[in-house]
Amino acid sequence: MKQTALSLPALRGVVESMSDDGLRPAREAALRSLDTRGLPTLRDEDWKYTDLSSAIAISNQWLKNGAPAASDDLQGSIDEITAAVAANWLIVANGVIDDTRFTPGDAIDVERFSATTAPIVADRALADLNVALLQDGLRIRVHATPERPLGILVIDSANDAAAVSQANIEICVSDNCSAEIVEYHASVGEGDHYANTIVSLDTGYRSQVGYTRIQNRRIGHVFTGRISAALGTDSTLDMANYDIGGGLVRNDVDINLAATGAAANFNGLYLVGDNQHIDNHTSVEHRVGPAVSSQEYRGILNGSCRAVWNGKAIVFEGADGTDATQANHNLLLSERSEIDAKPELEIYAEDVKCAHGTTVGQLDETALFYLQSRGIDKMQGRQMLTHAFAVDLVSRTPVDATRDAVNALVSARLEELIRVQAQ
Amino acid sequence: MLEIENLHSQIGGTDILRGLSLNVNAGEVHAIMGPNGSGKSTLAQVIAGHEEYVVTDGSVTYKGADLLSLDPEERARDGIFLGFQYPVEIPGVNNAYLLKAAMNAKRKHLGLEEIDAFEFLKLAKERMAMLGMDPKFLNRGVNEGFSGGEKKRNEILQMAMLEPSLAILDETDSGLDIDALKAVAEGVNSLRTPERAIVLVTHYQRLLDYIEPDFVHVLSEGRIVRSGDKSLALELEDKGYDWVREAANG
Amino acid sequence: MSSENIESIVNRCYEHGFVTDIATESLPPGLNEDVIRAISARKNEPEFMLEWRLQAYQQWLEMTEPDWAHVNYPPIDFNAISYYAAPKSDEDRPKSLDEVDPKLLETYDKLGIPLHERARLAGVAVDAVFDSVSVATTFKGKLAEAGVIFCSFSEAVHDHPELVRKYLGSVVPRRDNFYAALNSAVFSDGSFVYIPKGVRCPMELSTYFRINAANTGQFERTLIIADEGSHVSYLEGCTAPMRDENQLHAAVVELVALEGAEIKYSTVQNWYPGDENGVGGIYNFVTKRGDCRGDNSKISWTQVETGSAITWKYPSCILRGANSVGEFYSVAVANNMQQADTGTKMIHIGPNTRSTIVSKGISAGRAQNAYRGLVKVLPQAHGARNHTQCDSLLIGKECGAHTFPYMEIKNPSAKVEHEATTSKISANQLFYCRQRGISEEDAVNMIVNGFCKEVFKELPMEFAVEAQALLNVSLEGAVG
Repeated sequence: MKQTALSLPALRGVVESMSDDGLRPAREAALRSLDTRGLPTLRDEDWKYTDLSSAIAISNQWLKNGAPAASDDLQGSIDEITAAVAANWLIVANGVIDDTRFTPGDAIDVERFSATTAPIVADRALADLNVALLQDGLRIRVHATPERPLGILVIDSANDAAAVSQANIEICVSDNCSAEIVEYHASVGEGDHYANTIVSLDTGYRSQVGYTRIQNRRIGHVFTGRISAALGTDSTLDMANYDIGGGLVRNDVDINLAATGAAANFNGLYLVGDNQHIDNHTSVEHRVGPAVSSQEYRGILNGSCRAVWNGKAIVFEGADGTDATQANHNLLLSERSEIDAKPELEIYAEDVKCAHGTTVGQLDETALFYLQSRGIDKMQGRQMLTHAFAVDLVSRTPVDATRDAVNALVSARLEELIRVQAQ
Repeated sequence: MLEIENLHSQIGGTDILRGLSLNVNAGEVHAIMGPNGSGKSTLAQVIAGHEEYVVTDGSVTYKGADLLSLDPEERARDGIFLGFQYPVEIPGVNNAYLLKAAMNAKRKHLGLEEIDAFEFLKLAKERMAMLGMDPKFLNRGVNEGFSGGEKKRNEILQMAMLEPSLAILDETDSGLDIDALKAVAEGVNSLRTPERAIVLVTHYQRLLDYIEPDFVHVLSEGRIVRSGDKSLALELEDKGYDWVREAANG
Repeated sequence: MSSENIESIVNRCYEHGFVTDIATESLPPGLNEDVIRAISARKNEPEFMLEWRLQAYQQWLEMTEPDWAHVNYPPIDFNAISYYAAPKSDEDRPKSLDEVDPKLLETYDKLGIPLHERARLAGVAVDAVFDSVSVATTFKGKLAEAGVIFCSFSEAVHDHPELVRKYLGSVVPRRDNFYAALNSAVFSDGSFVYIPKGVRCPMELSTYFRINAANTGQFERTLIIADEGSHVSYLEGCTAPMRDENQLHAAVVELVALEGAEIKYSTVQNWYPGDENGVGGIYNFVTKRGDCRGDNSKISWTQVETGSAITWKYPSCILRGANSVGEFYSVAVANNMQQADTGTKMIHIGPNTRSTIVSKGISAGRAQNAYRGLVKVLPQAHGARNHTQCDSLLIGKECGAHTFPYMEIKNPSAKVEHEATTSKISANQLFYCRQRGISEEDAVNMIVNGFCKEVFKELPMEFAVEAQALLNVSLEGAVG
């Protein structure tokens, strides 16, 4: 299979035309690195099921047009989202940082990449692409326990021409702090759009982090988003990821457990309908023990769509006392849906407890019949059972302030998905 | 049969037993009581030879010979039986298979022929009937999916089959309802003989209503602080362990 | 040129000289069309076979060695391999067990292998083996009566060319993978089985009873066809350790089950794994695949893998017929420096197809043991069912256990379940057994055998007992 290649000369041209700020050396280094690495193709094991051709085509089109900045007014959409979740919001709109809605306080320091000399890490091709085209990034330090959750909204628009945007955010939660974080992705407009986001999270000694990530981009828009977390000694990360929208979506969650006593619990729900391809790749590296990781992803697929779940746990030599579990459950509701699931364990230590379970199935026909016999019509019954499948993960949303919003988004999307089936 | 002299032992560098002495003769039933963390279970594990428990001082003599230099399996073949507080599950290994292997290991040690399959089954069924156990247990995995009561009964079944000289029953009563407790106690009583010594390790006096001990010892901070007859257990029940601690300190 | 290289060339020359010396029938190392023509000529093969081999060779030339497996080994020089060796003559074999390596005999003893079999296994000249020929002849008569064809592949090419033509390569195409292509070009010999319609094979077929079984070589080819409504159980390998001077083994096994037919294929593989440092073991790169071509057919793979330095093997089922059933039961042990990457593929094509996978991996020493499996449900496979249980047991701190299961599901009525666990033998389990008077080694064996129970119960009775003993021998010294 031949994959469209990213036009590097056009990319170079655009990078050179960007402002001559402190990020320039990093952009140029990323460009060189991208030249060597190349974007992943279906031949890469990690990209076996997800083809980035559409992201590349959009990027090439946008680069060819001279990388025009989108100028649509997003304030209405931003108002709506920030009203639904009570948080202290930092916004990246069409790749541009907007901190007008952020209230600075005692607990959180925010800096821009361009204002500091700290190095910008790019360890893979998509990170190279991100840094090469990055307008600016955010470095956030939570050094006390904030009163309100920290909100990060990445929002884009593409109305006429193809558009591409990057966001790059580093969050550091200091020792002994508790923090709640919301990462929200949205997009509007009928044009082609590709967004590429990187979040890195460091948790300090004995810190506790609740993290809700909502991906609700427009169906048809392309998104690649990564969050990599390095956990400190005795710290806890509770995370949930909700895929509501998007066209071609690839989420990478990378957890690094290099300190003893760390615990990462992360869950995910993907609701996938027509014209969607949602790929969730998770990787947990147990480098020392004892440490705990557990993840549970659930997916509901209906219509012409595909979902991928690849959960990897690597237990390094000497990481004794590791306890790692993975679970993935899928409801496949249409003839035209496909799920590719791959739970992987690589274990080089002895004293470990690792387990994974994956299922693919349908709604329980007996339960459906039971509901019908109680007078509930078939569609409503399907909705109830499908909702029940998802609700467990919704109720475990780590950030309280997002619970209602998540619930509303999940319910609305489920209703859409089931209605498709009834037709 | 068993002489413990000034025994000191630690686990993970923490001292648990701090100069414990105890003599147990054939035919006697001893109850070792004490609050949590007093070293009761450690004593049981040390006698059975668990490698995590390091003996730092003192001696244990069993049937006139040094016990501490023996491997756990050698002690078992010599007639020491430990009824575990938390019997271990071994998936896929059938109960009968373990029992037979254990009996034959002992018989070989004693220079006896291996028990034949028919004889083994007959004996096992007999003992199971005595303990009110369903013969189906024989074909299940060792303790696999057993309830707490089933596990404890299974321990007593193993004891009945292995016919030890010295049986140490570690918290055999914990987690049992009254019927299971009675069944286990009956099993133990039926195994009381003039040749056999039994050491009961227990937190509560309840078990001693059903198995009457000849001696009761109270353990506190790794030492026996009081010894007496069965009335000591009742007194303890009445006054609580704080009383012992005070007595030990005062 | 470094002195080391010179030395290796000198040694190689010596080897070749030696081979030419004893048997003019052996070919010099290297692979080209002439070598393939020579192999075919020596076996007096009909033209179609030669053509088939030559095409496979052409395809092989265009392919590259796979590198995705979780194994490491130095590159193989395919031109340093001799692709045809004549069977050893009786003069070169030991005359009696007294001439056999005592270490080997000791292992036979531990495995409980009967005396007369030991002689045969150790390659003692045939006239010295008690009655294997007469036993085999008796069996051959019984099979002929039932209409079962069971012979060497070479014989089948001559006596049943129509069957060979029809089925050879129909399950594992020549260009399926690098090693299958190589095998197709140069395969030496192997087994051929045909069970006619409605026949239940009167006995378990084992390579043991095959006439002319001596030295099938490193590129073995097996083809089993179960015609409509027939049933066969086939046993491959044995628990006795197998040594071979050829390091690379690339066998191909093809199974065809027509409507209502059932094939049960059991393997015990105990090739030489190399010494504690991994020197000298066999590379076992095998392609095994069964095709449930007819409705209601069933193919069941059971394997106990304890040998080889490197194992690369995925016995698979193509579930084409409606209601067809595929099963895979596997115990893979890797000790010392062994590396194993094994698993299965279940391809659900027909409606209501069912598959079961039970994989038990045991890693000890410094070994790496990986399970790699694919469950694929195609859009037309309505009502497909799969259950996978994949467990790993770790013994020791330096070994690795890995699981790479792939599930690709394209039908909404499919039910697929996958469970995997990894654990170690717990100190508590060992202490419990020892407290009951059982030695540490016996306790480990007991726990390991308990872990593998679900697979052993799928093996034919006698095989199961031997397999347990084999496991114990394979893990000797793993604990302590």
